Amino acid sequence: MIDDTNKIPLVKMVGISKDYSGVHALRSVDFEIYKGEVIGLLGDNGAGKTTLIKVLLGLEQPTSGEIFLEGKKVKMNSASQSRAWGMEAAHQTLALVPEMNIARNFFLGREITKGYGPFKFLDMREMIKICDEKLTEIGIKRKISSDNKVSFLSGGEKQSICIGRAVSFGVKILVLDEPTAALSINETNKVLEYVINAKKLGLSVVFITHNIYHVYSVADRFVILEEGAVIGNFRKEDVTTEQIIDVISKGKEIAEKIISTNIIKT
Amino acid sequence: MGNTVLNTKKIPVKRVIGKKFAKYPELGALTAFIVLFIIFSLLTERFASLLNLGGILSLISEIGLVVIGVTFLMISGEFDISVGSNYAVSAVTFGILLNVGVPAALAIFVSLIIGSFIGFINGIITLKLGIPSFIVTLGALMFWRGFVLGSSGGGAYVRYIGPNTPFIIALNQPFSGQFRTSLFWFFGILIIFYVILTKTKYGNSVYAVGGNPDAAKAMGINVYRVKLTNFIITGLLAGFAGCVSFARFKAVDPYMGKGMELESIAAAVIGGAALYGGFGSVIGSFIGYSIVAMIGSALVMIGIGAFWFQSVIGLILIVAVIINNRMRRLEKL
Repeated sequence: MIDDTNKIPLVKMVGISKDYSGVHALRSVDFEIYKGEVIGLLGDNGAGKTTLIKVLLGLEQPTSGEIFLEGKKVKMNSASQSRAWGMEAAHQTLALVPEMNIARNFFLGREITKGYGPFKFLDMREMIKICDEKLTEIGIKRKISSDNKVSFLSGGEKQSICIGRAVSFGVKILVLDEPTAALSINETNKVLEYVINAKKLGLSVVFITHNIYHVYSVADRFVILEEGAVIGNFRKEDVTTEQIIDVISKGKEIAEKIISTNIIKT
Repeated sequence: MGNTVLNTKKIPVKRVIGKKFAKYPELGALTAFIVLFIIFSLLTERFASLLNLGGILSLISEIGLVVIGVTFLMISGEFDISVGSNYAVSAVTFGILLNVGVPAALAIFVSLIIGSFIGFINGIITLKLGIPSFIVTLGALMFWRGFVLGSSGGGAYVRYIGPNTPFIIALNQPFSGQFRTSLFWFFGILIIFYVILTKTKYGNSVYAVGGNPDAAKAMGINVYRVKLTNFIITGLLAGFAGCVSFARFKAVDPYMGKGMELESIAAAVIGGAALYGGFGSVIGSFIGYSIVAMIGSALVMIGIGAFWFQSVIGLILIVAVIINNRMRRLEKL
């Protein structure tokens, strides 16, 4: 269980709003991420999930609001800034280059080189070796070695490379955007397994999805967005899947009802 | 039982071809080159002569420099079709500076700066204003060609009548029969760019930026900087090619380099580069341009005549794209 009161959250977003020429994509959103928790970020299409993540990763600047990383106020200006701090988005189409081999993708932007000064060359053998090792370490089994192209891989295998990469490079927060969309049941289960493994290794995971059934088994907390505002923020022990579905489909009043019944219970 | 053995035997063969092709995109072009070379050698005896090959190679050494730049830029997902005009601008600049007595080393330096500058401007407009590079460089193609024609008073040649300095000899003069010093420049630069593309961090970024710019950005690669650098490299190499050509002819026609832009894109595509970026190799493009140059020479020797050249290249280009696409589908079996 996560004790929200005593710990400083890894990320604290306060009153985040984002307008796109008159359209309110986010309305004063508060969002927190604690160490080692898996958050299911839920909501219908256009609810603002992706915008919130873009602001978090520094890909978009909020119109107003503040972001604190480990208690320190920051301005997120670019993806490289959030990445340097330890955030990574893993999305099979957003984070991999299909025409490049697995090892080159795995080390993209962090390539291992040998040599001096301007004569630094990629150490492909070492990169393939480490890549194979790391992926095996977190339980990712593949049929082909790391010098093959990513385009050979299935959707689930692509996800596994993204997750494996994040885990291997000491990422603190892993953002998974619809990681189970278009995956077979088998592959979905594997991806969920990697999420649990990532959590065991101390990572926090933000799991964006429409599908509550996929995220329910692995998440510790659910944040539900509607029309750019947070309408629900529940711990897993306080809600059932049916209630969450209710909130997503019927909106705010249901969320308030759930909260009030929970208060009565406690 | 017999059936399964057959099946397991059949699929891997295709897959092996596909995978080899995935790792070596130049394989298709190399096969085509060898086949065409054998056909032309059989059709006409003189084709495989040292004299003719030397001639083809010196042509490759000049335009090939442009092809290297165009390939680099194409892999990162952008086009430059102004290279032919850039080539002429740089050659004319080089010639004029030599004629007014500027030392050759300084003259070439200034010409290269101008070539790079043209690439830089193309890059800035494309990337800052978000206009497709095809359109931006089409504008540049027309602008710089008009600039050369206008400033030369409507197409007057720039001729160099001064002595053959060591510098000019080093740039592009014969050293043995038809073989010219430009060969060393070309192969040296080809190897350098091959190494940059396949063995360095920067090369990895170039492929990533062309293959999936969103992923490259998410992984902390500065997409803007990589693309801009490649625009500058393309301009620089087009400018250098102009100077090398000038050193051969000691004269420049303001129409020089017309049609070169599409020929070099064709060479890159024949060599396995993808039009939408992310895939290709400088070696492949070199082989691709060798095919183009070889056909040009062979058509004349066989007696078909140079006028059919464009038609043949057009056909080869389409066939090459079909084969390359098929090969890349094979790899996914």
